[in-house]
Amino acid sequence: TAGTLNLGLGVLAHLERLETQTNRSRKNLDPQTETAESALEAKIHKLRCLRDKLRAEVKERQARVKASTASVEPDQTLEVNEQEAVEGKQENMKAILQAYRFTGLSGKLTSRGVCVCISTAFEGNLLGSYFVDLVIQKPLRIHHHSIPVFIPLEEISAKYLQTNIQHFLFCLCEHLNAYAGRKYQADQLQSDFAGFLAGPLRRNSLCNLLSFTYKVEPHGQSFPFCARLLYKDLTTTLPTDVTITYQGTDALSTSWEEQRVCHENLFLTKPLHQVFTSFTRKGEKLDMSLVS
Amino acid sequence: MRTEDLTSTEKTEQSIKKVLQKHRLSGNCHMVTFQLEFQILEIQSKERLSSVITDLNIIMEPTEYSELSDFVSRAEDRRDLLMFFQSLHFFVEWCEYRQRTFEHFKEKYPEAVRLPEGAVSSCMAVRSPREPGFELIIVWRIQIDDGGKVLPKLDLLTKAPRRALQLDETRVLETAPRGFRALLGVLGIEAALESLVKSLGVGEDH
Repeated sequence: TAGTLNLGLGVLAHLERLETQTNRSRKNLDPQTETAESALEAKIHKLRCLRDKLRAEVKERQARVKASTASVEPDQTLEVNEQEAVEGKQENMKAILQAYRFTGLSGKLTSRGVCVCISTAFEGNLLGSYFVDLVIQKPLRIHHHSIPVFIPLEEISAKYLQTNIQHFLFCLCEHLNAYAGRKYQADQLQSDFAGFLAGPLRRNSLCNLLSFTYKVEPHGQSFPFCARLLYKDLTTTLPTDVTITYQGTDALSTSWEEQRVCHENLFLTKPLHQVFTSFTRKGEKLDMSLVS
Repeated sequence: MRTEDLTSTEKTEQSIKKVLQKHRLSGNCHMVTFQLEFQILEIQSKERLSSVITDLNIIMEPTEYSELSDFVSRAEDRRDLLMFFQSLHFFVEWCEYRQRTFEHFKEKYPEAVRLPEGAVSSCMAVRSPREPGFELIIVWRIQIDDGGKVLPKLDLLTKAPRRALQLDETRVLETAPRGFRALLGVLGIEAALESLVKSLGVGEDH
């Protein structure tokens, strides 16, 4: 009992000493260091919380992965892979078929023969597509098609269909692309430059004969020029004959004549809508000069 | 041909819908291998749907056909995908025809005919075995014009000893190239070449 008492006294004395030590150190504390300390304590607390959260997340994920791999049997994974491979091949085939359309000429086999698809484009603009359904027989014949009636399909077939099918297709391709290009130019003129025209653009269905009355200055009052464009070569998108007549009220001077000749040349060498774009630009330049 | 449809983005703006497609395509036309990357912008408004190729990049594997590089740049500048494919097709066809023709003559007249550039030669040299100083060189170029049309262009170069040139009073050698071009128009390529080879006395026993 004396021993325990001594131990107890000793412990008590130790505790007393610690208490006085703490009290003393508390008194020495700077208010600044106190706040710094508490700030650090708060940070430590925050980081510990984050660490615990991340640890929990890792554990959760590991558990999930284990569960999923455990549930899938080896046979099923092989089947899934095979199916994926087949689907992949199908996707690839579809992609290849689509890619062939970009070449302008593509086709697919039918029960009777082959259906050829001709895609048209002009200056990077993708335009319509047409098809020709061929029956492989002797003689080769066209079952049905979507070629417009004004394209000389009978003529081209008569020349090449039986002897050289490739040439038949390329010739048809040429005609259709040229028609699509001419139509595109006429449509562009009609929609984007209607302000330059007096009345509608007159054209035939093949778009190889165009006639319109136009002006060059966007703010001009009268329409001094009358144009007639003829595209004799059905495989081109530029006219072969251009006739511009001056029908303004001013007396025919050299400047009008110069302009007339210049226009004839422009229409022969540049696509229709580009000619009018250049008129717009010239007009803008003119405006700028007036302002300055 | 192998194709990869990369991305498709959509931006809506009032009643106009725009879709940008990116495509990568690789393939070959006989021995010519190419890879294309292009973008198509589709704009759908109330009145119309337009589809425009907005960017075209063509990478060709290096070939012996130097004529192709100009053509490829032009197709890229104009974003003319169709012209690229169609002209490439005809160009390669003509190259193969040229190769077959030259090889035929080399086989038929092995002593007289020489292909200086090997199998894909753009020229054929014909020498008379009896008079080695004389040589006719047929140059056959295949050009792609501005509109994408593929045209063969044949020319004749003559080589003769100086003494022969001095004796040539009727200027046969000088006028030979022009004569050859006329001959091509009349007989066509194969027959014209055949007649040239024969004219050097090849295959004859005097």
